[in-house]
Amino acid sequence: MTDPSPSRRLHGSAAAPGVAVGRAYVVERRRVSVTRRHLEPPEVEPEVLRLRGAIGAARAQLQNIQKKLAPEASEHSLILDAHLLMLDDVLLVEQTERAIREEFINAEWALRRTVERIKELFDQADDDYFRERRSDVDFVGERVLRHLAGSPTEIARPRDLHGPIVLVAHELSPADTAALGRSEVIAFVTDVGSATSHTAIMARALSLPAVVGAGDATRTIANGDLLVVDGLRGVVTVQPTDFEAATATDRGERYIAFARQLRSNRDRPARTGDGVPIHLRANIELPAEAAVAIDHGAEGIGLYRTEFLYIDRREPPTEDEQYETFSRIVRTMAPKPVTLRTFDLGGDKFTTALRLPREMNPALGLRAVRLALREREVFRAQLRAMLRAASHGAVRIMIPMVTTVGELREARSELEIARQELHFRGVEVPEVPLGIMVETPAAVFVAEHLAAECAFFSVGTNDLMQYALAIDRGNEHVAHLARSLDPAILRALSAVIGAGRRAKIPVALCGAMAAELMALPVLLGLGFHELSVEPTAVPEIKEALGRLSYRDCEALVDRLWGLTTAAEVEDAVHQSVGALFSDLLAAGGATPVTETGTFLLPDL
Amino acid sequence: METIEATFEVINELGLHARPVSRLVQTAARFKSEVQVEREGQVANGKSVMGVLMLCCPKGSTITVRATGPDAQAALEAIGELARQRFGDPR
Repeated sequence: MTDPSPSRRLHGSAAAPGVAVGRAYVVERRRVSVTRRHLEPPEVEPEVLRLRGAIGAARAQLQNIQKKLAPEASEHSLILDAHLLMLDDVLLVEQTERAIREEFINAEWALRRTVERIKELFDQADDDYFRERRSDVDFVGERVLRHLAGSPTEIARPRDLHGPIVLVAHELSPADTAALGRSEVIAFVTDVGSATSHTAIMARALSLPAVVGAGDATRTIANGDLLVVDGLRGVVTVQPTDFEAATATDRGERYIAFARQLRSNRDRPARTGDGVPIHLRANIELPAEAAVAIDHGAEGIGLYRTEFLYIDRREPPTEDEQYETFSRIVRTMAPKPVTLRTFDLGGDKFTTALRLPREMNPALGLRAVRLALREREVFRAQLRAMLRAASHGAVRIMIPMVTTVGELREARSELEIARQELHFRGVEVPEVPLGIMVETPAAVFVAEHLAAECAFFSVGTNDLMQYALAIDRGNEHVAHLARSLDPAILRALSAVIGAGRRAKIPVALCGAMAAELMALPVLLGLGFHELSVEPTAVPEIKEALGRLSYRDCEALVDRLWGLTTAAEVEDAVHQSVGALFSDLLAAGGATPVTETGTFLLPDL
Repeated sequence: METIEATFEVINELGLHARPVSRLVQTAARFKSEVQVEREGQVANGKSVMGVLMLCCPKGSTITVRATGPDAQAALEAIGELARQRFGDPR
C-alpha cells in the first residue's frame, strides 16, 4: 500500500546512529492540568501528607525503573540518581510545603508554582547545559503531579499498535525511555534536544537510532504513521513509499552489518575497486572521538579542530593543558598520523577566551591565522604543545585560512621560535611537517608558491565554497546555491591538485564534500588520494570507494571540463555512478553526514 | 556555632553538571552540619541538587564551601577530597 502523496521529511540532529522503520507512537504527554483550591485550616496537614505520599510514590517508581535497567545502561542510572535527589530536594519540598501551610493552597498548585519558579531561575543561566537542566526539574515535578492527580504515570504501549514502534515525543525523560524497555521501541524522534540531550545519550546507550530536534514532529506525525528514522543523517521520513521503506531497511541492515564488521573491516585499508589505495581519515573535535575514529576504521586523523579548547572559557588553555589533550589523541592513534590544526577562531566561531571585537563581516575578519599572528603568545603556546605531542606519534601541523605566502612564512617562524623556546627548556622535539588549509580563493591562485614552502595541503571545501561562490552558508536565501560540483569549484580543486603534484606534496580534502557520495568519483578523478570525513561516515565512504574504479573516475572528470553548470556536472556524475550508489543514496539523499562528530560525547 | 570555610577550584572538564553535583550533594548529606556553596556571591544549600546546579559552575570556576555544625571539619575535608577527584568525573 503506497501513499499516493509524496513522503515528507523532517530534519533534525543525528543523535544516535542506525536506521529503523516502524509505526509512530506519538506520546501526548499533556501536562497535568492543575487548579488552585483554597484549603480550610484542618485540611492543611493532610494536604502536606498527601504531597509527601506522592513524592514517596514517585520515588518508589523511579527506584523500580532503575532496578530494571540493564547493567550497560549506567548512564541512564546516573541520570535517574540525579532525579531521585531532586525529588527530595529541599528547594522543591520545603518551598512547596511552606506554600501549602502558609497560603492554604492545595499541593498540586503549590508544587506547580515551585517548579515554575525553579525553572525560571535555570532559564537565567548563560550556559546551554545548565539551561537545559530546567527540563529535569520539569520531569521530576510532573511525575509527582501525576501521582497527586492520580493519572497514569508511565507511557504504555498502545493496544492497537502492533510491531516495532518509533516513539515520537516533544521530549523524553530518562524514566520514560527506561520504563518502555527496549524490546518494544526501535527508535526515538523528539521535537527538541541536541546530541547532548538525555534522549540522545539514552538512545546511544541502548543502541537505538534517534533523531532529535526535529522541530514539530509531534504535530506533523500522526499515531500509526510509518516512519523511517535515519539516525545516521538526522532525517525522519514520514509515510515513506514502499521503495523508500525498503531501501531504508537495507540501509539499516547495512549499518548493523557495518557495525558488526567493524572489527574485521577496520584494519582493511580503503581502496578503490581497481586497487588504488586512498587514505581515509577522520575529522574530529573532541579527544574522545579519536577512539570513535579507530572503531570506524579511519586511517588517522585528517583534521583535529583545536578551537574546541578555547570556547566557553575565560582564559586561553595553557600549553600543558593542550599538550595533555593533543598527546592523548596522538597516543590513541599512533602509529596512524594526526593532523593538528591551529585554532580557527574568530569569524563564525564564538569565543570567550580571546576577547574579540564584534565584526560586521566576521568571515572576512580577524580569524584563524590572522588572529594567531596578532595573539602570538597564545599561538606559540599552542605550537609548543603540538611540538611536544609530536614525540608520541606521527603529527602534522596545519595552519587555517592562509591567503598569502607571507602568512605561511610568519607561521613557520613562530613554529621555529616555539621549538627554540622548548630547546631552552631542555625539551627536544622531532621535526614536524607544516602544512596549510587551502580554503580561500587567494590560496588557490598562489597555490604554486605556497606548495613550494609547505609540506602538505588540505582543502577545506566548506570555506572555499563560501568564499569562491560568494555564498554565506548561514543565509537560507542563498545556501542552496552552494553546490560542490559547481564548475568553478572543480577548477579550483584541479588547480590545487596540480600545484601539489608539481611540488610533490600530498593534497588532502577535509571538507564536507569528502563525505558526499556523488562528489567522491569526481574527487578521485581529480587526483585526491587523501580524504578526511566525520568518523561515522568512514564505513560508508570506504564501501563507496570500493565500488569505484579509479580509471573510470579519471575518464569521468575528463568529460566534465566541457560542462558549464553545476546541474550539468551533477547529471553527468549521476549517469555515470548513480546506479553504483543507488542503495547508498536512496534513504537519505546525498546529504553529507553532519553533526555526527558528537556521537560519543561521553557525558551528560 | 562556628562556621568554617574552604575554597576549591572546579577542575572537571564539564564543570559542576548533574552528576558531579549529585555526588557533592550526597557527600554533604552524610554530615549533620549545614553546608553552603557559594560562587560569585550566589549562595546555595549544599544539600540541594537544584540549588548547586543553579550556581552554574563551569570548569575553572572557584567555589567557596561553608560548613556549620558539629562535624563541619569532616564535611569540608570530604568535599575537598571530592573536588580534587573531579567530583568523580573521569576528566
